[in-house]
Formats: sequence, C-alpha cells, structure tokens
Amino acid sequence: MMHPQKTVYWLQGGGCGGDTFSFLGSEFPDVIELFRRLNLQLLWHPSLSNSSPADHELLLSNILTGEQPLDILLVEGSVICGPAGTGMFDTKNGQPKKELIYNLAAQAGLVLAVGTCACFGGFGSDQVTEATGLQFARKERGGLLGVNYRSKNGQPVVNLAGCPCHHDVIVGALISAATEVAWELDEYQRPIEWFSTTVHQGCTRNEYHEYRVEESDFGEMGCLFFHMGCAGPLVPGPCNKLLWNQQSSKPRAGVPCFGCTDPDFPRATPFFQTPNIEGIPISLPMGVNRAHYMVYKGMAAAAAPEHLKKRTSKV
Amino acid sequence: MILNTTGITIPVNRAEGDLEIRVEIEDGVVTDAWSAGTMYRGFETMMRGRGALDGLVVTPRICGICSLTHLTAAVEALDAISGVVPPDNARRLRNLALMIETVQSDVRQSILMFMVDFANRQAYRGLPALDEACARYAPLSGRAAIEVVRETKRLLQGVAIIGGQWPHTSFMVPGGVTSMPDISKILQLRIIIERFTAWYERTVLGCSLERWQAVDSIAALDAWLEESEQHRNSELGFFLQLARQTGLAELGRGPNCFLSFGNLPLPEDTTVSGRGGRFQQAGWAEGTTVHPLDATKIAEDTSHAWFAPKKEPLHPYDGETKPYASGHSGQVYSWIKAPRYGGRVVETGPLAEMIIDGRPLFLDLIGQQGPSVLVRQLARFIRPAYVLDTMHIWIDELRRHSMDFFYRSTRAIPDGEAAGMIQAARGALGHWVKVEDERITHYQIITPTAWNGSPRDASGARGAWEAALIGTPIDDSANPVAAGHVIRSFDPCLVCAVHCLVGGRKRGRMTLGVGNR
Repeated sequence: MMHPQKTVYWLQGGGCGGDTFSFLGSEFPDVIELFRRLNLQLLWHPSLSNSSPADHELLLSNILTGEQPLDILLVEGSVICGPAGTGMFDTKNGQPKKELIYNLAAQAGLVLAVGTCACFGGFGSDQVTEATGLQFARKERGGLLGVNYRSKNGQPVVNLAGCPCHHDVIVGALISAATEVAWELDEYQRPIEWFSTTVHQGCTRNEYHEYRVEESDFGEMGCLFFHMGCAGPLVPGPCNKLLWNQQSSKPRAGVPCFGCTDPDFPRATPFFQTPNIEGIPISLPMGVNRAHYMVYKGMAAAAAPEHLKKRTSKV
Repeated sequence: MILNTTGITIPVNRAEGDLEIRVEIEDGVVTDAWSAGTMYRGFETMMRGRGALDGLVVTPRICGICSLTHLTAAVEALDAISGVVPPDNARRLRNLALMIETVQSDVRQSILMFMVDFANRQAYRGLPALDEACARYAPLSGRAAIEVVRETKRLLQGVAIIGGQWPHTSFMVPGGVTSMPDISKILQLRIIIERFTAWYERTVLGCSLERWQAVDSIAALDAWLEESEQHRNSELGFFLQLARQTGLAELGRGPNCFLSFGNLPLPEDTTVSGRGGRFQQAGWAEGTTVHPLDATKIAEDTSHAWFAPKKEPLHPYDGETKPYASGHSGQVYSWIKAPRYGGRVVETGPLAEMIIDGRPLFLDLIGQQGPSVLVRQLARFIRPAYVLDTMHIWIDELRRHSMDFFYRSTRAIPDGEAAGMIQAARGALGHWVKVEDERITHYQIITPTAWNGSPRDASGARGAWEAALIGTPIDDSANPVAAGHVIRSFDPCLVCAVHCLVGGRKRGRMTLGVGNR
C-alpha cells in the first residue's frame, strides 16, 4: 500500500517535549515504520532533524511563501502570548514564536494540536505566561487561530488531547491524516475515535468502582475516584483501552487519573484529593444523574462482594 | 557587552525547548559567547498555593525527556518534610525507574542528538567516514538511529511496568510508591533490562560490561580501541575514531569545575555498595580534586537574566522567580538564572558524576587533558555500562522480597521545608519546597541546564557552556557544526531551564538580547 507523499512539519511551542517522547514510544507501527509505510516526508522535527540552521530557515521561508507545500502541521506545546500579549516570553530569533505558529497554520493542509497544551493552553493558561491553545483557550473557542480558522483542506484544528497525548493516538491520527480518513470530532474538536469513552472504561479497578469499594490511601487496590482525586470517570481518553508503552496505565499502577485530556487541565484543586461534600464527589461521572447515581451507589456498596471488600483481587 | 557585536546567532536544534547561542567570531574562532534561554513557562510560581502533593503531578511536566527526575526530586523533598523513610522495595522501584530513564536518555542523546551531527553532509563533506556516519545516524533511516528508537522504546516499557506510563507518571509518593508489580511483571522487567543490556554490549560497547570496566586509564582506552574490529566498529569505537579525526579532544573546555548532587539512595538491605547511603556520590570538584557538597553554598544570580533585579545572589530557599522585562536589554539576555556554587561556575552532568564518583578513566582523562567535548560525551556514552549490573541486582532483590512493603502511609504533609536534590540524566537537579497548612508556599527549582547554560553573573563570569565555546573554530557560520558539538556535549534540555513564574504582571516593552544589534 503506497500513498502519495505528504509533508510533515513538527513545531514545538511552550511545552515540555513530552508528546514527542510519547510518540517515540509507539510500537505498532513504530515511528520508523510509520513514516516509511505512509510515505510521510518529515520536513523538520526539533529533536530529530539534523539540517543546518541556514537550511532550516530556508525551508521555513519556502513554506511561508507557499513554494514548499505543507500537508500536515503538528504543534506541540502551548502558544505563549505573554507578557501583555506580546509573545516575548517565547521567541525565535527575537520574534514571538506565536507569529510563526500562526503563519505556518495559514499554509498547512491540516493542523494537529498534539497534547493538551497545544489544544487548550494547559500549563500557563491561567498564569502570566498567557498560554493558549491553537483554537481553544481552555473551554473557550478561539485560541490563537480564532473560531473561524480552517486549514487548507477545510478542517478546524484537530485536538489530540492528553498530557502527554497517548502515542497510539498521535500515530493513529497521522495514519488517518496520511490516508485522508475523515474525522468525527467532539465539542472540543477531539476525534471521537479516541475521546468518546472515559479513561474509566477498561480500568482494572472498575469493579471496585461499581460496588463503591473506595480507597483513602495509596498502595491499595480499590477505586480511587471517591477520595484520591481520580478523574477517570470524568474525562474522555483511551488510557485504559490503549495501554501506555504496551504495558499499563496510571490507575493500574495505583496512580489516579489527573484528567489530563480535559480543557481545564491542570485543575485548580489539589491533585490526589476528590473535591466533595460530605464524602460525595462534587463532579460525578460523565453524563450521570446525581439522584439516580446516589441511590445506585448506596445499593451497590451494600451489595459489594466479599472478595472486593477484602481486596483479594490483584489489580 | 552584547551590544554592537558582529557575531552570528546559532539556533541549536534538537535541544528540548528553546535555546539560542550568540557567538562573536574573530579569524574563524569564537572569541565570546552568550547563551539565551528564549522561553519562560512559569512553573515555580505556578506551584505556590497548590496542594502539598501537587509537585508530583506538575513538575514532571517541566520536561518530557526527564519527567521522572523531577518526580524524584519532588518526592524526596516531601519524604524529608514528612520525616518518612520509604521501604526498601520503594527505593528499588524508584531507583530502577530513574535508572531506566537515565539510560534511555544517554543512548538517545548520544546517537540521535550528538552523533547525528556527523551525518551533516554539508559540514562534513571532507570527512573520510562521512558515508558510514550517514549510514549509521541519518534521522529515521540510519542503522543505529533506527535501533536506538526501537531499543529505548522497549526499555521504557520497564517504567510503565513500575509506574503505569512514561513520560509523566506520578507513581512516587511520600512514603514510597503507589503499587508493586506482580511477580510475572518483575520477571518481564528483568527480561527487558537483560535484553537491553545485551544490545548495549553488542552495539554500543562492542564488548561485555565486564571488559569495559577494565578500561581505567587513557592507555587502557587506547589499548581497548586497538584490541579488536568489534571495539572499533561499535558505536563507542566509531565515536572515538571520529573524535580523533575531528579534534573533539581540543574542543569545548569549560570551567573544569564540577558538581554532582549524588543519587540513588540505597535500600537498607541490599548487596549493592555505595557510600553515605547512596549509590552515586554528592560533591563538587576542582579538576580531579573532589570536595564534599555544602548545599548552603548554592545561590542564583539574576544580574543577566530577565528576572526582578536582586542586590545579591539568593539561595533557592530565599529565591524568587519574577519575570522582569527590563530596559537594560544589552546586559540581560536569558530566561535562565545563573546558579553558582560558592560563587563559582561549575558544570554538571555525567562527566561530573564520573569524577565525583572517582572513576579512574575519567580522573586520568581530566588530569591529563582537562575537560573537552570528547570526555564529556564519552561519559554519557558509557554511563549505562556502570549502572546496568546494579539494575539487575535490584530486580533480583525485588523478586526475593516481592511480598514486602512498598509504601508507608503518609497522608498528611506537615508544615516544613526541605530540598530534593538528585542527579538527573543531565546533572544536578534540586527542588526547594516549603509547605504550610497542606499547601505549597515556596517552590524553587534549579535544573542541570541552568547550571550548564547559565548566562553571566554579576562578576561577569560566563556560564559553563558560554566559557566552553571560547576558542571553537567556525568554518562556516551558516553551519557552525563545531559549536553544536560543544553545546550538545552538555546535553541541553532547555525547557527544563526555563524559569517560570506567576504573580506580579509586568507590562511594558521588552527587548530580547539575542538578535540585538
């Protein structure tokens, strides 16, 4: 299966590089096979390319004039707009990086925002760095590119959320982009293929949740939702369906989900604690009715089987 | 002064984050250099007012390449504030995860970031080994580049077995770790490490770990290279040959002063030996003379960085991070502060570790030849050879003690202050933390790249790699590959070095030094 060649440019803004290193963790296909089999030409990646600085500048100017076609633009990291909207907290050759991001997006066939910072602003979005996402600032539409932005192929920015974004999602999105599979996006422009189910789905602690066998300390096997700050039932994401590094997920290893695919990540309240009133979480699982949920949980706790209460199952 | 220089600006790619180096050149040689971190992300001030444990979630996000090292520094500070000693199995699991992260970083940095410069056809068109270098290191297609992508990815599965995912897990918590892998997973972990070790011996060293341990002097290194085709053809052997052909031993001298915070606290019951309860030692060194570390001598100078001016350098317990777009833009030019040890410029990283741990090969190299790109990169290339055996031992101890504790309950964090000081892949990393009423009131971080990539201080002393750049030959200012070697031998991780803040919003015009005329 050979596809027409497509060009790819990977830009890093205000981020940590975590999405790049997540991407390198992909197994089937790994990044080497991915570029080969899909006939993707990587014009530039800040951690992988070795062209000279002068050649890179030439490439950039050719993209910006349209001489060099750019099919897929991946942006990792937030758009830093501070201080006071100048963008001078993040510069390239003395110019605000945000201008480069804006101009490249204007030339791109398709724009993929890789990771929560690029999607929604993430770290720094309510701080002095004035970080924003490409087409959202947290839950608000707009971002750097504006509500009406469409890439050359007519699509809005595709938000591959996560901190970092799951490697299988980045790879899957590139496969879809290379083969021109149409996207179906949710209200925050995340592909529903990976963001229509919660992190809770597939969690090995699910049965504990079902019977409301809760933990209030680390190192145990029960559910982490009620006291330990787990956001697994609250946010969409594939972490327990597509395992991390082919092995596991945070909840499987006893670490609560921090809700990193949410536009409001990082949340303001302390991690590892569930905001609650009288022991009842303030945020309930995605889509449930509070009254029904309370009755159901009360009955479920009473019905919990002994082997769960005794934590005899291995997570 | 930065004003009116007629140098060139070198954008250093393949650094995590944003780094721009400006150098002044006379007769094809660098006569002065300015290193600018060009991004500010605000993490330290972001921490103030957050939950006591939030450093475990937020600080790994400072750097995707070394997220576990920030997690380790954060958790050690909280352990100390809580007065809790993690159980042995927690020590083993934390250490193993951190060692995996360090080993993968060393191999990726060496092949994908450093050696790939020798596949720069334009810069090395006269090099006899150019075709071989391209066959090995061309991005995404070189033989060694492909192997490194595949082997490091599999190695990192070990972190996922221990902590659920890589990067950005938060499995280390005050009092221990959040879970203990099943016995079958521990066996899998052992197979992953064994398999990686076999690859590292075959491909990177061209010999067994044991054979490499015998290389304890410059003469022994020369003999090792002469000994067999296998040694010469290994990645390490090829590096040494290229290093000779391109003069890496004469490049990138630096301050010849070294700092290591030490690392890897030993479990109480272990056959792994160390000193002072740690596998790697803390200290600082002038040349090869090693002194004990005195953490009170650490201070950060902000005279040349875009932070609110301070009369004198401050210890990180007293330091603050207020971005400050100042008018005197000819003097200030970086978002990186200038950390100093007892007022001195020091370099940190694997080379510092080797010297402070007393590795004979490196004592000989530094004693005879002084620091250089060659010795700095050599230290990174072979660091895995000194830790892989220890990883095997700790995995075996986990198997024998699989029913033992891995967590001591430590729910409420008391008021207090402490530092988490560790040795990350790139060198000395410290988190200085204060907690009050279950909230963080103070958080200051000094990253390895801040030590190595700092701007000048008030005395005018250049940061470590600014100093190391002096004397670097620049044949082609459009493709300054030698300057790239110097910077990359320090393994910059610029996102890490970007000091961040929140709080007082400073408005007004700001000019960045890099690019100033």
